[in-house]
Amino acid sequence: MRAAWAVALVELRRFLRDRSNIFFTFVFPLMLVVVIGAQFGGGAGSGRVVLTDESSTLGQRIAAELDARDVTVDVGEAGQARETLARGRADAAVFIDDAAAAAFDAGDPVQLDLVLASTSGSSAVAQQVQSAVAELDREQAGVAALVQSGVDPDLAQDAWWDGEGQVPPARVDVVDVDDVSQAFAGVTGFDVGASSQVLLFVFLTALAGSATLIDARRHRVIARTLAAPVSAGSVVAGQALGRWVIAFFQGTYVMAGTSLLFGVQWGNVALCLLVVAVFSTVAAGAAMAIGAVLDNEGAASGLGVGLALVLAALGGCMVPQELFPSSLQFVASLTPHGWGYRAFAEIQRHGGTLVDIAGSLAVLAGFAAAVLALGSLLLRRSIARAL
Amino acid sequence: MGQDGTSTDVVQVQDVTRSFGDLQAVAGVSLRIAPGETYGLLGPNGAGKTTTISMIAGLLEPDSGTVQLCGEPMGPRHTKIRSRLGLVPQDLALYPDLKGRENLNYFGALQNLRGKELRARVDEVLEVVGLADRAKDPVKEYSGGMKRRLNIAAGLLHRPALLILDEPTVGVDPQSRNAILESVEALSGEGMAVLYTTHYMEEAERLCDRIGIIDSGRVQAEGTRDELIHLVGELDQVRMDGTGDLTAATDALQQVPGVQRVDPVGGGLVCAVADAPVHLAAIVTAASAHLELSDVEITRPDLEQVFLHLTGKELRD
Repeated sequence: MRAAWAVALVELRRFLRDRSNIFFTFVFPLMLVVVIGAQFGGGAGSGRVVLTDESSTLGQRIAAELDARDVTVDVGEAGQARETLARGRADAAVFIDDAAAAAFDAGDPVQLDLVLASTSGSSAVAQQVQSAVAELDREQAGVAALVQSGVDPDLAQDAWWDGEGQVPPARVDVVDVDDVSQAFAGVTGFDVGASSQVLLFVFLTALAGSATLIDARRHRVIARTLAAPVSAGSVVAGQALGRWVIAFFQGTYVMAGTSLLFGVQWGNVALCLLVVAVFSTVAAGAAMAIGAVLDNEGAASGLGVGLALVLAALGGCMVPQELFPSSLQFVASLTPHGWGYRAFAEIQRHGGTLVDIAGSLAVLAGFAAAVLALGSLLLRRSIARAL
Repeated sequence: MGQDGTSTDVVQVQDVTRSFGDLQAVAGVSLRIAPGETYGLLGPNGAGKTTTISMIAGLLEPDSGTVQLCGEPMGPRHTKIRSRLGLVPQDLALYPDLKGRENLNYFGALQNLRGKELRARVDEVLEVVGLADRAKDPVKEYSGGMKRRLNIAAGLLHRPALLILDEPTVGVDPQSRNAILESVEALSGEGMAVLYTTHYMEEAERLCDRIGIIDSGRVQAEGTRDELIHLVGELDQVRMDGTGDLTAATDALQQVPGVQRVDPVGGGLVCAVADAPVHLAAIVTAASAHLELSDVEITRPDLEQVFLHLTGKELRD
């Protein structure tokens, strides 16, 4: 076992010594998390609204109501608001002109224009805006009723607010019955992007490292290793262990990085690490198989990267599985990434327990056992070939 | 000692064979190496050297025959005994992206060296090969000679009973080559058995106590340098340049004991003689009676000629 550790340690050291790995292992994954997180909404809070006026009482009151509903409010002129919507940087815009502001001040009916963007959260935000405006409408009507019943107008507003303070605020929960919306309920785009990147980069990093195995065989380092009091089994175990450590490290790094930098919620971290551990075993076995079958380092790197990207795409690491048609969802279930994705989704979005992910984990473990056995067999043969 | 096949032999190879498909790479090789002995295994490319070495190193299982190291069976399934072996392959079996010391730490760890003992052994072999001041540099920044020396150092870490050096001086500068040869001489002097292969005949002549010439998977001849030369009947050559009666000189020289043949070459004569130093005075006397000699030169047969005689090929072929 000591020999296996020595082999594993030297593989890890070589991996960390390669400067290109600093970018591809430490920087690139976090960059992709940002890109994918932004693509899928950046947040599942209450959305972003642009107001074209915040100087009038009406504008200030709408902004306050939206803020109370956790909606992010930006202010811009009408042209800017339209451009912001067109670029998908806001979910909705409320256009407040001078006439509407004056009408509100006078206690008259007000008509506002609400324009929605084509973002996934725009319909929910529209309801938040309507709720905020309805609240203002109710307040205005209430104050007017008090004034009509003889209350001094200045006291009527204060009385309304006092009364409102004693009643729990109205709450609007937007429940989207759409399957996709429910699948992503409660998670941010970063959460989805981060778990996908864990799977993508664990495989990518492990497979890209298959070239070092060819390098060691070609330079007869493996032959020399076997001339020491070391069994072929120890060499194979060491190679597998080294690749597993690299893959697992990559996965935990993306988890830690996205948690610290983007506030990604991983749910039960121990369960997530378990998924990463089993998935890393699949990646380690695949890396050994590629390194054992091919004799050209460039070809191995190319095949490794290509295979990692294709499997990631099919498994839902580039576009969420929930957006796949049913035929592609079946294809996803043929990849380890597909099962890793499902396990992460269960843990992150639905507070899944070990029992909840047992099925996905069992399939992943099956993948791991099969691929590792194949990789070990092929590596043993390639070692014999190298002698 | 080793020649007699005593129990003190570090290596005993007995009639090993090995085929790869239809190709019989080794067709019955036997050899023995005693402690402190340097054994040269010479042969043209494809003669079976590497396969023989792989079997001695326990990397390949012989189809038949036995290999014993320090009295114990050697083979792919016998891992423990391999701690008595140091292998320095022809290829630079090193990790170029790791530092020199890191490479040695790795190979030392494989030999179950740990902690202080490992550090001490690494420091020691770095001194032996003259790389102590470059130990912290990545191997890819080393010169060819430095890599070769580190390649040797990795085989010495655990003080093996047998050190196999497979063409350790290929592609190195004369200075590094000399350093390597001196290291090998020192190791042999310390009692280490060395199996040495090379394409440089002068290295074999300088280092090897005994030499085996292998061709077509068999050891064609084996012995000390002088034994091999006598074995193939190669003669010393005495070349004499001068002016005078070459015919009379030829007749006179043919009467000198030990002279086997006299041939005219250029403006002089060449005598083929069994042991030139012994007969040189009589030869010069006989020639001087008919020639005014300007130059006398003795050329003794070397291993290159023996090799050519036995294999029909130059060693570098």
